[in-house]
Amino acid sequence: MSDTPMMDELEKGPWPSFVREIRRAGKQSATARDLINILELSYKDKKTHWKHGGVVGVRGYGAGVIGRYVDDPVQFPGVAHFHTVRVNQTSGFVYNTKGLGEIMDIWDKRGSGMTNMHGSTGDLVLLGTTSEQLDPIFTDISQKGWDLGGSGSDLRTPSCCLGPARCEYACIDTLAITRECTNYYQDELHRPAFPYKFKIKVAGCSNDCVASIARSDLSIIGTWKDDIRIDQDEIANYVKGGGIDIMKEVVMMCPTQCIDFDGTKMEIDNSNCVHCMHCINKLTKALRVGTDQGATILLGAKAPIVEGAMLASVIVPFMKLEEPFENLKELIEALWEVWDEDGKNKERIGEFMERMGKGEFVEAVGEQLADGECGIEMTSQIDMINHPRENPYIFYDEYLEEEG
Amino acid sequence: MAEERITDQGAKDYKEFLHPVMVKNYGQWKYHEILKPGVLVHVADSGDKIYSVRVASPRLLSTVSIRFFMSVADKYCDGFLRWTTRNNVEFLTDKEENVELIIKAVNDDGWPVGGTGRTASNVVHTQGWVHCHTSATDASGIVKSLMDEVFEDFTSENLPGKLKLALACCLNMCGAVHASDISILGIHRRPPKVDYHLLGQICEIPTTIAACPTGAIRQDIVDGVKAMKIIEDQCMFCGACYTACPNMPLADALNDGVSIWVGGKIANARSKPGFTKLVVPFLPNNPPRWPEVIDAVKKIIQVYKDNGRKWERLGEMIDRIGWAKFFKLTGFAFTKYHIDDYKLATKSYNMSAHVRF
Amino acid sequence: MGFELNGTTYETDEDGYLINIGGWNEDVAHHLAEEEEIPELTEKHWQIINFLRGYYEEYQIAPMIKILIKAIMKDMDLSKRDASKMLYELYPAGPAKQACKIAGLPKPTGCV
Repeated sequence: MSDTPMMDELEKGPWPSFVREIRRAGKQSATARDLINILELSYKDKKTHWKHGGVVGVRGYGAGVIGRYVDDPVQFPGVAHFHTVRVNQTSGFVYNTKGLGEIMDIWDKRGSGMTNMHGSTGDLVLLGTTSEQLDPIFTDISQKGWDLGGSGSDLRTPSCCLGPARCEYACIDTLAITRECTNYYQDELHRPAFPYKFKIKVAGCSNDCVASIARSDLSIIGTWKDDIRIDQDEIANYVKGGGIDIMKEVVMMCPTQCIDFDGTKMEIDNSNCVHCMHCINKLTKALRVGTDQGATILLGAKAPIVEGAMLASVIVPFMKLEEPFENLKELIEALWEVWDEDGKNKERIGEFMERMGKGEFVEAVGEQLADGECGIEMTSQIDMINHPRENPYIFYDEYLEEEG
Repeated sequence: MAEERITDQGAKDYKEFLHPVMVKNYGQWKYHEILKPGVLVHVADSGDKIYSVRVASPRLLSTVSIRFFMSVADKYCDGFLRWTTRNNVEFLTDKEENVELIIKAVNDDGWPVGGTGRTASNVVHTQGWVHCHTSATDASGIVKSLMDEVFEDFTSENLPGKLKLALACCLNMCGAVHASDISILGIHRRPPKVDYHLLGQICEIPTTIAACPTGAIRQDIVDGVKAMKIIEDQCMFCGACYTACPNMPLADALNDGVSIWVGGKIANARSKPGFTKLVVPFLPNNPPRWPEVIDAVKKIIQVYKDNGRKWERLGEMIDRIGWAKFFKLTGFAFTKYHIDDYKLATKSYNMSAHVRF
Repeated sequence: MGFELNGTTYETDEDGYLINIGGWNEDVAHHLAEEEEIPELTEKHWQIINFLRGYYEEYQIAPMIKILIKAIMKDMDLSKRDASKMLYELYPAGPAKQACKIAGLPKPTGCV
């Protein structure tokens, strides 16, 4: 009988099996072979066998490597050390076989042969190596022009959708913004000095394929200010083609009911459009995003721990974003300055904004920006909220004194 | 020590890694179509076309399989490929005739094509027992078991709208899975057991106390040494203290398991983005295939198939038919655990006379 | 795991941190520095060690790195960027990995 019956079971079935992957790596790696063994034990015991923490790294950086040790290194020597190396992915997760091959060669030589394509934040994750291999891995990848990503209380590796490289919805150059934020802030990314982690994700439109609104402290979402472009001939073609019921599937599903359609011609009340993308998603040949393009910037998404989960909320309703993105950098630095000054240990910027009050926070960031060169004005704006406050406990800044 | 050390190079230039047709038509795309599940064509203003073939991966990939993908890309895609946010591999080619050849090549090595349009997505998930020290369940095993069962919903457009699936193995939720249509979430159910051995040496007591969202950790003196105790009634098993202090382990085979949440959304299309809501508070860890969890998720998908209107997401469907009917249709028990009792819980109370009978 | 120094045995974990931080002394610091390939603890190294230990003694926690950097900015009259650079010149593997270890503070529990 097999020593790993539960792993064997998970090699069956039509969906690609992670067990097959680990076994493929195990043909050349004792680490991968012991990974299967320790996983079988976890399945038997119904609990993890990885120890808490692990502080390892490469010289000159305080980030980019996660230390991991197994709780029984005698029985599972292959995974006694099982550290993770976060390699900064390319914008949009694009590769060619030459570049990807460089990393595969290094990893076959110095690690388990297992990867995550990709980690939750976006890095190309090399999974499972020893402390001794960390500096050599770093030397090898950097000689091929690759670098490490973020970890700990720092700027985490920014990531984005494929944007203008393949998508007609892209209102901003997601790839260029992501690379600029990554490369301009290398010190913040490699040497943690923030109150806690800070994630940036860039989506070309509000379909948000990169989940920025849920997964990043700073969410940059492409949008437009002028009119949706309508090609009435293509609308007529959709009507003729019969593949879609425009009235039912488009007009009636518009959240603000701002589309008029008489069976042949479409009109949109753009002043009431919230830029949700539904009509454009459904009529890709007939409708296009407007041409006065930029981004809505949102702040503060995070997972539950500690103060509860949050989606990002609007901090700048509209901002033009063009290379070299000086206005964006000025905004980012103003946000960091305010958070860094008063943020507590392990307090995400969303939690900090909640503690301070969004109105107060916006005012403080506005004061930072007032000294800037890009002339960004930040004051409380109605697009930052769903509705004005319901509760009358207002912290008025001042009151009048009787004269004399 | 004196060797030349290159640091802070940053991300490689993506322009090196874009297919020439994508470089030529950068920012000049006109429209796209889904030709069949997993196959997209994007058409540029110039008339140029790029075809994408989307292939599922389990995220955990060996260099062996990545080299296989590279060989397919070399053969049919001029050496270009990419990954998606939801762990799919995409092969990019400007040659329509290569699409079926790519599909055949990957299918022959066991990789399915799909995940576009009105399908179940590949699962965004965390590390689980493969690599993580805080996990309350495994990630890859549940994902594999689920996708084996709903395989056809990935490869065919069987559903009313998109169905995005996600799994996190503890409340840290690497990857913020709580904004997908269906989220599977690992949970602990027993307060940490304080390990007093060298507690004050290994852990920062003030940091650990501050980590608790409900203030359930208090300073204590044990054998004349500074220590901590837990007010068990106030613990909601988030594990934040364990992250701060290794001497607060809360993994427990008897009590760890899985909860199921539905109706989250990231896209702004139609309704605003939102979080998932609880439908199943606890199911046991039952490796290797977690049958109770898979049954519950399949039940939810069936109710969505039977009741969802075209393009409607699961959460939008529930908003239309009401939560009461959703619980009735799925048959899940409604319990006191479904009623929120943390910050802003009142926002979820029904402050109206709107009730369906 | 561990090491012996002047007849005393010191237990360490996989990452080389002291298990019993109460056992720290200056000789231990020199030994840990050697293990970290820091050939000599200069006056500037000690400034950081002393700041970390003083802070820990007062608050029972390690300072946030931003607080450490602010202290360096003040003590050595440097800009923020130069203070961070100085910190990594003194402790190339970073304040969490090396400075806290050599100063005998508990192992930092950084985010995964």
